[in-house]
Amino acid sequence: MAVANAERNQQLLRHGRSIAELRGTSIGRRDSAIVMATGPSIARRDPIAQIKSSGYDGALIAVDSAFGYCLRNGVIPDLVVTVDPHPTRIVRWFGDPALMQASPGDDDYFRRQDLDPRHADELRANREMLDLTSRHAKGVRIALSTSASEAVVRRVVDLGMDIYWWNPMHDDPDLPDSVSRRLIEMNGMPCINAGGNVGSASWMIADAVLGKRSVALVGFDFSYYADTPHSRTQYYREAIDLVGEENLDDVFMWVHNPYLDQWFYADPAYMWYRAALLDMARDADCETVNCTEGGIVFGDSIRFAPLSDFLAAERA
Amino acid sequence: MNELLKGNFQTKNQVTDSPAKEETLEDRFEREAKKRLGGSIAYVSKKKVMWDLKNEKK
Repeated sequence: MAVANAERNQQLLRHGRSIAELRGTSIGRRDSAIVMATGPSIARRDPIAQIKSSGYDGALIAVDSAFGYCLRNGVIPDLVVTVDPHPTRIVRWFGDPALMQASPGDDDYFRRQDLDPRHADELRANREMLDLTSRHAKGVRIALSTSASEAVVRRVVDLGMDIYWWNPMHDDPDLPDSVSRRLIEMNGMPCINAGGNVGSASWMIADAVLGKRSVALVGFDFSYYADTPHSRTQYYREAIDLVGEENLDDVFMWVHNPYLDQWFYADPAYMWYRAALLDMARDADCETVNCTEGGIVFGDSIRFAPLSDFLAAERA
Repeated sequence: MNELLKGNFQTKNQVTDSPAKEETLEDRFEREAKKRLGGSIAYVSKKKVMWDLKNEKK
């Protein structure tokens, strides 16, 4: 799907530039960035309130699903990042014009998901996103993956966002017959190691493209709060198909967060994202501070600290 | 003659089967979840950005 999207998007590259043009540019007034994902801690910790009240003037990078949270709170991110090639879901984070005339359909992802509870009422949330983005998205920078769906690219172009194209790494570009290498040959766009998800991709862009020296993470839970029903987890349907509802407990892993003295649970996909991000952070030029105040992303390469500590250090 | 090769000859060495690596539940789950979500984006260890094909290393 991602490669097919890249081939189709070849016709639309003229609407943007290469992400290489962001390399070394001064986005934000500091040598730091906050990368905002939309794990369930966003609803519980509301980090944007702290960020706003602190007057933080470094770069704010939002994953696609955090764009609405920022706009609703009167904050325009310095850069939005999108990578997932899903044909119908991702455009919702920008407002889907097609959804106004159709019923939400069989895909219950937004009605179930724990990331942004507002999207449970799909039509209402979509109307809000259409309104917010039509008023505020014009000129906002977006790191637009060539893997993005036709619906996302069309919406982003229609909104007049400032597009910077990139290829996600599909495999090791040094290998023979590499898909990643073929994409670079086809479209000439840099190929970025996305770590399997848009949050990790955004962190990599902060480190390796923008050259930020200190990167704070918010909304990077990669896990669920203990009171989250299985039915509201990201991969619930897949889990039932694989092991059956009666065996769901076998799929999830419990992790103790010693900084919070709190338990969270994760599915294998989240555990894989976590391991990959910790691995990537070991090779990074930046220091990574996880200010999510929840979840399971901590380890030798990622310091876990309150957001207030990071913001205070930035003010000093 | 073992169960892997049948014929009118003798193999010089014993032919043994090496069982294929069994896919774990985690492997299956991860593969299915990524497939369903369209998240076919990989993680490649020890790589950051390949800016272009002329100046490949970063």
